[in-house]
Amino acid sequence: MKPVEAEVKTGKTESGKKFFFARISFPLFGYILKRILIFIPTLFIISLLTFILISAAPGDPAETMLNRTSGEGQASDRLATERSYVALRHKLGLDLPIFYFAPTNLAVSDTLIRIPIKNHREMLDRLTYQYGNWAQIENYYHQLKSLEFAIVSSKKDSTNANALIELRNTAAKFFIHHEDVVLSALLVDLKNQSNVAANLTEVKAHAEAVATAYGKMKTEATAWEKYIPLVQWSGTHNQYHRWLFGEAKWFGTETDPTLGRGFIRGDYGVSFTTKRPVKSVIWDGLWITMLISLLVIIIEYIISIPLGISLAVRKGSTYDSGVTVALFLTYSLPVFWIGTMAIFFLCSPDYIEIFPSFGLGDAVWSDGFFYKLGDLAYHLTLPLIIASYASFAYLSRQMRGSMLTVLGQDYIRTARAKGLPDNKVIWKHAFRNSLLPIITIFASFFPALIGGSIILEFLFTIPGLGQITYAAVLQKDYPMILTNTMFAAILTLVGYLVSDILYAVVDPRISYSKK
Amino acid sequence: MAEATTLKAKNEQGYWAFVNKQFRKKKTAVISLYVVMVLAFVALFAPFLANEKPLICKYKGETYFPVLKELAVGFGIGEFQPQFQNVNWKNLQYEMAVFPPVPYLPMNQDDNNIHSKGPFDEQNVPSKRWKHWFGTDELGRDVLAGMIHGTKIAMTVGIVSMLIASVIGILLGSLAGFYGDENFQVSRVRLWGNLLFLFFGFFYAFGARSYDITDALGRGLGEGFVQLGISVLIFTAVMVAGNVLVMLLKKIPFLGKQVAVPFDLIIMRVIEVLNSIPTLFLILLIISIVRKPNLYVIMGIIGLTGWTGIARFIRAELLKVRNLEYIEAANSLGYSNAHILFKHAIPNALSPVLISIAFGIAGAILTESTLSFLGLGPADTVTWGQLLSYARQIPQAWWLAIFPGFAIFITVTTFNLIGDGLTDAMDPRLKQ
Repeated sequence: MKPVEAEVKTGKTESGKKFFFARISFPLFGYILKRILIFIPTLFIISLLTFILISAAPGDPAETMLNRTSGEGQASDRLATERSYVALRHKLGLDLPIFYFAPTNLAVSDTLIRIPIKNHREMLDRLTYQYGNWAQIENYYHQLKSLEFAIVSSKKDSTNANALIELRNTAAKFFIHHEDVVLSALLVDLKNQSNVAANLTEVKAHAEAVATAYGKMKTEATAWEKYIPLVQWSGTHNQYHRWLFGEAKWFGTETDPTLGRGFIRGDYGVSFTTKRPVKSVIWDGLWITMLISLLVIIIEYIISIPLGISLAVRKGSTYDSGVTVALFLTYSLPVFWIGTMAIFFLCSPDYIEIFPSFGLGDAVWSDGFFYKLGDLAYHLTLPLIIASYASFAYLSRQMRGSMLTVLGQDYIRTARAKGLPDNKVIWKHAFRNSLLPIITIFASFFPALIGGSIILEFLFTIPGLGQITYAAVLQKDYPMILTNTMFAAILTLVGYLVSDILYAVVDPRISYSKK
Repeated sequence: MAEATTLKAKNEQGYWAFVNKQFRKKKTAVISLYVVMVLAFVALFAPFLANEKPLICKYKGETYFPVLKELAVGFGIGEFQPQFQNVNWKNLQYEMAVFPPVPYLPMNQDDNNIHSKGPFDEQNVPSKRWKHWFGTDELGRDVLAGMIHGTKIAMTVGIVSMLIASVIGILLGSLAGFYGDENFQVSRVRLWGNLLFLFFGFFYAFGARSYDITDALGRGLGEGFVQLGISVLIFTAVMVAGNVLVMLLKKIPFLGKQVAVPFDLIIMRVIEVLNSIPTLFLILLIISIVRKPNLYVIMGIIGLTGWTGIARFIRAELLKVRNLEYIEAANSLGYSNAHILFKHAIPNALSPVLISIAFGIAGAILTESTLSFLGLGPADTVTWGQLLSYARQIPQAWWLAIFPGFAIFITVTTFNLIGDGLTDAMDPRLKQ
């Protein structure tokens, strides 16, 4: 080696380094800070959107959690389950209004949401819609409840056993019907059934009270009230506020450990199905998904950039056209199909068994670092190939396109005209500029990977963010879905930020200092 | 005047003729177009291609067209003759019958060929005519019939959801691009009044009638639409009345002051928020709150989450168009902004959107089959993704893995190739 050349080389790298650090300078940090500040309202809106969507979901979470068996049982049992149900609803905050304010009308009462049972709430909401007069509707509901209690607590004997069963069924129907025709018929039934046995006087009295309350509700109806719009203000005592900020004290030590700390303080609530804190489940999943996504990105960029360049350089050759067509076809191959086929033919004893078909292996770090690493690599190889091929095809096509555009520029022609060797023209003059579009793609690439984790992890049963979300969707585990969606959004925004920073590092024309 | 219109027609013809010519140059794109035509044919005539009922039959001395009749029954015109109700069409004693090429329905089981019989396996069928050419699944359902009816579902999902996405995308994108942040000026009272009346309109039309509408929809689609129609009428009435009131209030100087509506800012923020949630997560979130996802729900979800690309596309296009001379000319001639937008700007920016629609159809079909593969697709029909997902449970049934997946691949590829061809054909850089 001649000393002169070595000198030139070191000089080059030094200037490159200087350049690199010059780019990550104070204005850039200012810009990053600004971007992060912009993320906050975006995340806020996303949290609002997801939370309100999930609040509209059918089903009663407290009921699912308790797996209540309603209807049968002794009076004391039923009271006990109802009490625990109400307590659970209170603990989950389901007896609170959903948001700070809500459009409503004059007829709807704010006590409605505190009625513990979903069917009853719906029935009462219907009655409010029909008759409007909440005081009378509430009265009717209380009469129904005491009738039910009277029936359940009546002493059973041979004369009234059948009548009591019938009465109980009739009373149960009142709680799910609102139609006038049905209710009138039920009232007649109730009267007849309570007349069967002589020792049902108390039930009879309650049945009559229900009938009068029902009549009063109809005669004193104020249905017009529902045509008067109102905006109901509930203050910070609502489900959304509770979920996002929590109820625990912000400063000092909280004495009540049952109070939640809210999403922004790292408390994501309790899973409906496993009853474990969401936090403990989600971090493991997040780690796996992040690892896979990062590895996929690295693999893709490492392969597709040289491939794209080599295609662009040999534009028009059979190599170029052949590979381009192949890349196009690869790009259109659905991941879940190729994944299924790969598992089918490469992981099954019926055909060829090279790879494990599911999971991340049983090895733990204490088995030895390299053993665990090898096991992990063995389990991750096929998923990584499946996850990378589609976007690698896309990236290579983009790289080829952007390299071609750059190679058509005047300054490249000038460089060639100067007599520079081809290699130098490509790597020194064209390479960096052709990278710009590829970096922009990163912004849309990262969310696609996070979204694609659902399919990939479903295929290979990898317990990452996607698999957790998928399981949560199947089980309608809303705290889990909510948290996962939020984290997917946060990761996406981080991806956008990284692509912005990379852009600034690569493109010297972009200035963040002032605009 | 007449001369101007012919000139215009000639120019338009010129542009499309040019695009056509460029498109024809690309062989792959042209072949793809033919493949799409074949797929469309299969989708349209699926009931005639795979069905348990005969196309034409002679039964007890009379001639019937059961498949045609089935279509009529499906549309609610006509009913099956009493002797054909609740019968097994295969076991009837016909004097003459012509069955469709695939004599099976995708949802019905062939009890003689359960436990997934492959194409090369021994099948328990009377003759080659009744063979399951693509095998059967675990329950004995014909795979080829499922593929044929799945074509219908895939094409419907692709086109309908892209239609929804394009309407939303074109409307919002062009508002953002054409008006920007400053160009849409309204009086203060009209802006705030309209927001207020929007609230009142929704309240009286939908909020105060919520149970009337849901009950009617529960009784039947027809009644539901009547109630929805009444609601729309109420909504329109409130908005019209509100705007009449606004006209009067505009005379007050403070209320009449012109303010700009920052359409671009609002719409771009909405797009940013939607793009910040990975699409599949967003779709799963919505599916988790829907009781039973049927085909319409799936199409709606894909359409509602898939419009942002089109909106950005047309916004960028209109940012260019709005500064062109003919828009200025129309402006100086005194045409209203809305007239210019809908009559001149959008039609001229529309053709490049075709590209994103072609790619969008491919994406929508892929999304639907992904959802079906995950077991979250429409529950009431057979789809390609669903068939493919059965393969995961039966390791020997390679026909369940290969055929449906290949169908998805071909369909997605053809739409992508068409999109690619359109990109090349419309690229102005090639125009020289």
